[in-house]
Amino acid sequence: MSRLSISTQRHRLDNGLRVVLAPDSSVPVVAVNLWYGVGSRNEPAGKTGFAHLFEHMMFQGSEHVPKNGHFELIERVGGSLNGSTWFDRTNYYETVASNDLELALWLEADRMGWLLPAMDQGKLDNQRDVVKNEKRQRYDNQPYGDWSERLQAMMYPEGHPYRHTVIGSMEDLDAASLQDVESFFRIHYIPNNAVLTIAGDVDAASALPLVERYFAEIAPGPEPPPLPGDPEVPPLLGGTVREHVVSEVPLPRLIMAFRVPPFSSDDFAVAEVSRALLGMGRASRLYRRLVRERRIAESVMSYVYPLLSGASMMLVWATGYPETELDALEAAMSEELEALAGAEPSEVDRAIALTETDLLRTLERVAGRADLLSMFELYFDDPDRLNHELDRLRQVTVDQIRVFAAERLGTDNRAVLTYEPKVGGSAEVS
Amino acid sequence: MSALDRTSPPPRGPMRDFDFPAVERRALANGLDLRVARMPRLPVVSLRLFLRAGEDALSDARAGLAVLTADALEGGTRRRSGSELAEAIERIGARLGSSAGWEGTFVDLYCLAERLPEALALLAEAVREPAFPDDEVARVRDRQLAELRQRLMDPGALADDVALTRYFAEGLPYARPADGTVESIGRATRTELAGYADASYRPEGGGLVVAGDVDAAEVAALAEEHLGSWSGSPAAAGGFTVAPASRERRLLVVHRPGSVQSEIRVGHVGVERTTPDFFPLSIASIVLGGSFTSRLNLNLRERHGFTYGVRAHYSFRSRPGPFQVSTAVGNESTAAAVREILHELERFSDGGPTPEEVAAARDFAAGIFGLQLETAGQIASRVMQLVVYGLPESYFHEYRTRLRGVSTEAAAEAARRHVRPAEAQIVVVGDAEAVSGPLEELSAGPVEVRRGQRAD
Repeated sequence: MSRLSISTQRHRLDNGLRVVLAPDSSVPVVAVNLWYGVGSRNEPAGKTGFAHLFEHMMFQGSEHVPKNGHFELIERVGGSLNGSTWFDRTNYYETVASNDLELALWLEADRMGWLLPAMDQGKLDNQRDVVKNEKRQRYDNQPYGDWSERLQAMMYPEGHPYRHTVIGSMEDLDAASLQDVESFFRIHYIPNNAVLTIAGDVDAASALPLVERYFAEIAPGPEPPPLPGDPEVPPLLGGTVREHVVSEVPLPRLIMAFRVPPFSSDDFAVAEVSRALLGMGRASRLYRRLVRERRIAESVMSYVYPLLSGASMMLVWATGYPETELDALEAAMSEELEALAGAEPSEVDRAIALTETDLLRTLERVAGRADLLSMFELYFDDPDRLNHELDRLRQVTVDQIRVFAAERLGTDNRAVLTYEPKVGGSAEVS
Repeated sequence: MSALDRTSPPPRGPMRDFDFPAVERRALANGLDLRVARMPRLPVVSLRLFLRAGEDALSDARAGLAVLTADALEGGTRRRSGSELAEAIERIGARLGSSAGWEGTFVDLYCLAERLPEALALLAEAVREPAFPDDEVARVRDRQLAELRQRLMDPGALADDVALTRYFAEGLPYARPADGTVESIGRATRTELAGYADASYRPEGGGLVVAGDVDAAEVAALAEEHLGSWSGSPAAAGGFTVAPASRERRLLVVHRPGSVQSEIRVGHVGVERTTPDFFPLSIASIVLGGSFTSRLNLNLRERHGFTYGVRAHYSFRSRPGPFQVSTAVGNESTAAAVREILHELERFSDGGPTPEEVAAARDFAAGIFGLQLETAGQIASRVMQLVVYGLPESYFHEYRTRLRGVSTEAAAEAARRHVRPAEAQIVVVGDAEAVSGPLEELSAGPVEVRRGQRAD
């Protein structure tokens, strides 16, 4: 049985824009959330990082909105807004008091329909600098900051859409031109490649005409082209791929990744529950065994990426103490991965109980609701899937987990990335 | 052709009335201040316990002890091992966490409302009967040490920590990071943690805030059942008066060879939470560096492309915490970024914000406040501020009105008093070979380059 009942209404405008409404008047707040079906997976060779750079350009004004107008106008009414770029999608969102809904719709429609007249070289150069600084700050100048770049290259073959990172490379960012901005916009930023969700203090009867008013005249485009790379890969890596990095990191760290079925697969739920048994909460296997009992790791984490194309990935990581030997840490991790075959039903119950709490916490915010609904609509044409998330996980059995552990977590399907602190690291303090 | 005029933003509709939720107050006989806010929207509850066991009452030799003791609560109780405690909590889908800061120790619980009776019993057990087994104490101590070392290698965290020593006079608690130091944490023992918890985890002066789909009378009965027999006052805190390390503008470069970016901090001693200037200063600091469209961000990010972001922030505590501008910029822009920050601080302190900027910041602050009344956790942490800082019960009911009442003159006066560029302490963590020459040329104050001993 499901405790969740977020009721939704779906509509489709004539130009193909999909609209999801999720009214809830218990707070005077409304979330506007747009997901475009474009992400780093759509970037051809030589254009890595462009989807994200383009996301920045979407905040540089449009025909009727001045540069920084989005931030100025939304901040002016006390709202919050941002956007983010991911492998499979790019999203944009505003949370405002419900009487400012129309403002958010006007802003989003203007950049969906009338972005290009406002683009110029100066804005592109400025945002390129901002993004390069973002890359330096969040990746290049951070201990372990290159882990995702290394891991993706280990997990996916040359030319695969997930081979490169969302932030991309400095060289490709340098090469981006105004022409690229224009063609990217024309190909991907079309109403028939987007989902608009409005959640919170809104009534459907008045919201839908507003959406029509602002979005209906935006022309649809041809179906975007297929992905530039071939997403199909064998289900397993076919061995253990290794990379050992000696760099200026404070502690030894082991990152292990496995190819798993894509988000759209029925088997994905098994990966989700398996990762929860391993690393969700302090009663989880990795925390109990590696952190608490054996004290070989200072902290552990497990994660499964909800990726759509070809194969997704699950990863576990463990950060050691200064004296931890990486070989011993890997051996200990391998033992726990094998031991997962002995999972008990009570562990599955615990994982689901925690997932329910975490999901409710996300749903307390209208912005959290809207983002999940956009995802389920864009990926699966089914926003109501949100209400069945827990049921989907509840159906996972310990037998399935046993099979998953044997098939997916063995040495024939592992990428192992290790970081070893460089002796004589360079941070200096007094 | 469309008849729709898109050239200007649509008119705003009337704002819906929405107040801060009603809060019922019921003090327990042992001095614990219980406050309950009913929010029936989703079947969840957020609970926050506050004890006056804070880092600000600890000497340098014991720095980080409150943080370490709070962390070690996961080690288990006299009745359950750490793993058994985690299992009991997570089995019912509850999230329990504890942490400490300058003002005190917080224990946070989040769960389905129907699970509150079991969850509160476990919380009470964790706080009142901690066992601090040797192996768990050793573990959380090693973890804390590892994290402290990690901070030293993280240029941003290193800049924050070094900056504190430039703002606050030596020996003051605020001159050190709240998490303690490698020396003080390395010395901590099981006996010390157990002694600290026994002396400081006491209900008097503390608070229990519960927000969510709950009934105040039922919560009061539960609190009485699990916490009613608890008694005593936390060990008295030694007071201190905040003083600056220097009133002369100085520049410190912490050499990080090969760094591709510089972490920049510019700041000085700020002001306490209960200052009468709180509202005008909050508005002023939004204009200066508290929003995307702040003066600092528009200058450094949007005009010059120096940085991904920059902010200015007052850390309001029971005593004056730091005022600080933080950013990270490329090596070649480091001196120019410091110059622009000082320029903006001077311009702001001298001239204050414009009426348009104040109006925009008032709307921003009032709006954000309204948008942050959505979740049980948000409400619980707001209500907890009343307990921690001794603010009146009506405080958040009047909050928006008071923000909206800030005049341009009041904001300018607050900026003049509390933004003091002539006293600013500047810290740059970056490659000294690349950045110290241009920084010298700024003539912003004496420059010291620190090529200290290695972090590890």
